[in-house]
This record gives sequence, C-alpha cells and structure tokens, in this order.
Amino acid sequence: MLKRILFIFLALGLTAFAANVGDVTNVKTLKVNRGLTDAGKSCVECHAKMTPGHVNDWKESRHGHVGVSCIDCHSVKKDNPMAAQNCKGIKGTEIFVSALVSPKTCERCHPNEVKEFHQSGHARAAIQVKAKKGMQSLMQHFEGRDHKDFKHSPEATGCMQCHGSIIKLDKDKRPTAETWPNYGIGNVYPDGGVGNCKSCHSGHKFSIEEARKPAACASCHLGPDHPDIEIYNNSMHGHIFNAEGSKWKYDSAPDAWEPGDYRAPTCATCHMSGIGDLKTTHNVSKRLKWNIWAPISKTRDGGYETVVADYENGKITKGNALAGHPKGSKAARSEMEQVCASCHTKTHTKNFFTMADKHVKLYNTYATDAKKMIDELTKKGLMHKDKWSDKAFKIWYHLWHHEGRRMRQGALMGAPDYAHWHGVFEVQQDIRELKLIYDKRIKSGKIED
Amino acid sequence: MSRNTEKKAKSIWFIIGIFVLGGIIGLLFSFGVAVGVHKTSDDKFCTVCHTMQPMADSYYLDAHGGKNANGVQAKCVDCHLPHDSLANYLFEKARTGLHDFRVQNFGDPKSIDWEEKRKHAKRFVFDTGCMSCHTNLENATTGNTKAFVAHKEYFEKRTDKKCVECHKNVGHHILGDYIKK
Repeated sequence: MLKRILFIFLALGLTAFAANVGDVTNVKTLKVNRGLTDAGKSCVECHAKMTPGHVNDWKESRHGHVGVSCIDCHSVKKDNPMAAQNCKGIKGTEIFVSALVSPKTCERCHPNEVKEFHQSGHARAAIQVKAKKGMQSLMQHFEGRDHKDFKHSPEATGCMQCHGSIIKLDKDKRPTAETWPNYGIGNVYPDGGVGNCKSCHSGHKFSIEEARKPAACASCHLGPDHPDIEIYNNSMHGHIFNAEGSKWKYDSAPDAWEPGDYRAPTCATCHMSGIGDLKTTHNVSKRLKWNIWAPISKTRDGGYETVVADYENGKITKGNALAGHPKGSKAARSEMEQVCASCHTKTHTKNFFTMADKHVKLYNTYATDAKKMIDELTKKGLMHKDKWSDKAFKIWYHLWHHEGRRMRQGALMGAPDYAHWHGVFEVQQDIRELKLIYDKRIKSGKIED
Repeated sequence: MSRNTEKKAKSIWFIIGIFVLGGIIGLLFSFGVAVGVHKTSDDKFCTVCHTMQPMADSYYLDAHGGKNANGVQAKCVDCHLPHDSLANYLFEKARTGLHDFRVQNFGDPKSIDWEEKRKHAKRFVFDTGCMSCHTNLENATTGNTKAFVAHKEYFEKRTDKKCVECHKNVGHHILGDYIKK
C-alpha cells in the first residue's frame, strides 16, 4: 500500500513537472497555421515529431509569438559556408539550412544587441584563446600531453564550453567534435559571425527571463579563479535573491525592468539593464572601472573591444584587455553608481566604492612585488624551464589568477568572505611563501630541489 | 539709321545668336550625356568587360534581375550608385567608372578576390538606391510582424546597418557559386 501511495505521489510530481516545461507529448502532433510560409510550417510540424524538445521550447518563445520559426533563423543561402541539406525534408530543394546559427543571423533583427556585444570583453572569449600561446600550450601540451588522439579533450570539455571555439565543419558541413557542441560565449562561426547569444538565452526559447537570472552567468562565472556566483551568494544582493527571488518578475520589457519587479539586483541588473536613466546594453564591460581579472589591475580606458574588427580583417588577436566605456573608466564608474542610486544613498555607494577601490589598489601592491621577484628570478635563470613544475611560478599564478581575483572581485561585488579569507588572506600567505623561495634561490644561486 | 545704331543692333543679334547657339549645343550635349548615362547603366554595358559576367549571370536568376512574376529588372546602377542627389550620382558614376576602366585595362582583374569584396558589400550597394524603388517599405513592413521588428531599428535610425548587411545575396542569386575561381 505504501509503495502504491509513493508511486502515485511520484507520478503526480512528474506530471506537475511536465506541466511546468510544457507537455512534450502534446507537441508531437503540433499543427501551426499562422504567419508561417508553407516551407516554414513543414519544418515546425516535422520537427515536432523528430525533435519535440526544440519545438516545445520555440512554442514557448517570443519568436513563436511573432511568427519567427525554424526556417527564419536556420535557412541560409546556398553559398553560405554553413549551407547544407542534411535534412530529408529539404534534400534536393532550393532550401539550404545550417544547424549552427551565428550572430550574423540574430543581428538581422537585433542589430544593436549584437553590436554592443561585439564592443564587450565577451566578444574576445574564443579568439583570444587562439591568440595566446600560453593558453594553447596549457590545453594541448601540459594538460593534453600532446597526445595524438586525446590532446584536444581538455579544451573541448573545458575551456571552450565557456569561451567558445572557432567552429570547424567536416566535409558534410557538420561541426567537428573538437569544436562543437559548446555554449561558449565567444564562438566564431564559419560564416564569420562572432559571439553566441545562446550562452545566456538558451535555445530555442531565447528567454529574457532566463538571461536576467544569475544562473545564466553562473555556469561560467564560478570556481576558484572567478567565483562570481559564489561572490553574489555571499553578498546581501544574493542573500535577498536566494530568499525570495523565485517570486520576482523577470519578463518586464527591456529598459522597463526596475526595482519593484525585484528587491535586489541580479548580475544582469547591474551589468546590462536599463535601470533608472541608464539604457540597456549588451556590452557587459561598459560599466566596469577596473579590469580585475588581469595580473595587475588597470583602469579600463581602452575604449571598445577590438577583437571582432581584427578578426574581420583576418587577424586573430588577444583583443583589448582594457575594453570598457568609450569615455573611459570614470564614465564607467559613474554609470555603475547610477545603477546603485536606484536603491542606495550617495554616501552608501561612494563609501562602498572608496574601500573596494582601495582593496584593488592594495592587491596591486602585492602583485607588483610578486611580479618583481618572478621577473628577477627569470632574468637570473633561477626558474624551471617547465614553468608548471616551478614552485615559484605556481605560487605567482595562484596569487593573481585565483586568490588575487577573488580578493578584487569579492571587494567590488560586496562579498566579505571572498574579499578576505579566500582573497587577501591567501594573497598575503602566497607572497610570504614566494619570498622564502625567492630569498633561497637568490642566496644559493640555484633552484631548490 | 546711323552706322552706330546699325552696329549696335548687329551686336545684339550676335549676342542673342551666341546664346541660342550655346543653348542648342548645350541641349545636344546634355542629350548626349543623358543617353550616355542611360546606355552605361545596365547589364548590357557592364558585361562589355567579361569580369562582370558572373555578376550578370547570378543577377539574371534573381528577382532583381528579372526572375519575378512581372519580369521587371533593376539596372546595375539602381543598386550600385547612390541616389541621394544627381550630383553625387554622376560623381560616383564617373569615379567608379574610371576606377573600373583603369583596373580592367591596366590592372589585373583576375587577381580580384570577389569573396573578400563581398564582405564589404555595403561600400558598393547604396541604401538610397534600394529606397528609390522600395519607396513604401517602411509602411509595408509595419504590418508584417517579422519584417516589422527587423526594420524598426533601421527606420528609426537606431542602427547603422545597411540593407545588404542583412539582405546578403540580394540582386545576385547564389553569387558565391558564380565567382568561384
């Protein structure tokens, strides 16, 4: 009897779950007759049987509402590098499609979103990985062991899932396993499109609600090197979100999503949203004063990101590490202060940033001193040839790439545990350890065993 | 009549004559220019150079090249010259014409990478050209949900995208197949 009751509960639970995401079995016999061409209709109806999950997502989307269907985004001209007929329904017809959809397609209707994205640091995510020798050798040589079969697995399963890849096609115009599938934000598509809208607005729903929730950012902005979701959870903003965020409103129109719809900001609120007098932007770098990912933080006075223009001119570059607000870091900070002003007093905001900025500058003193030691050891030949075997190098790497980022990001996003215990406390431990090794090597003139 | 008044009358006729003659020559000249401008505006003239044959071939298979219900053709210059003012139209015609003449006769037209050139199609396809035929596009697309969203940013001047940046291949059906080396 107990088993039966449990089974009934389980079945009810599953039904409730299915009702939440849309009943996929209903989708399988979907007939649509509104606003679509005959070809467009046949895609939807056939794919409702073949890939009901896709069609179910689309049915829930704004695209579905305005009559933008499969063929509007997936059809390409025959001479597009991605054009294929790997689908029975269109084989031999004049219709060519691509499973991959590049931002070049999205920008036909969303030109400003794509343009702003290209002006942001997100745009360089994949291309810079190709441009940086250190990253290539870490993935393929150190981690992949230069293995003839396995050397690409570290980047395919790891790096490119967030960074994106330069997607290659096989002779049937299908993407290769080494470069796809991924949800990396900086993907480069064979048609030259750069970026990946689906990173935050997952397909085929492309939901604004989803992108406004911290989960959209959290799948990449986490972990020891940039624990941004952990930082958010540690902050008062995250505290309020976790307590009651499930009841907030996330589907207000762009530029009209304001306090009241929510009681605390999510990532998107501060970094992208049109709040108060500010306009919405898909340039996540625009409201940032510092680059707090770099070994030594500088203010972002480099204008817009440059990597896409470089790529269009045939160059793979590291991009612009100081990309930010076109009018410089002061303007960037003032925009961020405008965000804060929707909820906080001027004194609150000024005081907060005064101390957070000091924490960044304090970090810079550590990093400058540590870098000096590393440079001197390198100059005197007192570093291992294989840097990943070198104790001093590893400490330096963790100092800036892990502990130092936590210290700075924790401070600027109001996360005490990361600013302190996972941050400055670890940094001061690191530099002491590094100093001991440095003194030893300088004194003895050789690398310790 | 004194000789002086006779002389005066003669010179007045002479001046009138110059103006009339000048007018006639001017008219003939502008007629010639108009005919010239007209004759050098379509596929027949442009394909005098074989370099342009792939562009013409792909154009014939496109709606703009006559493959449409009414057989109407847009001429090459309807898209490839600016239509904002007559002066700019003629200036651009002369500039591109001289450039093409120079490259065709003294350059190496075979070395041109057409695929590369297509990437910046917006430099040689002019929105003012598109809009001089598609005069009612703004109104026509407000009733169509898909086209409305796509064209709204354009007509409200919130994007600097040009027509051909979204409407790739417009005017030349599968151009890529024709310009392959």
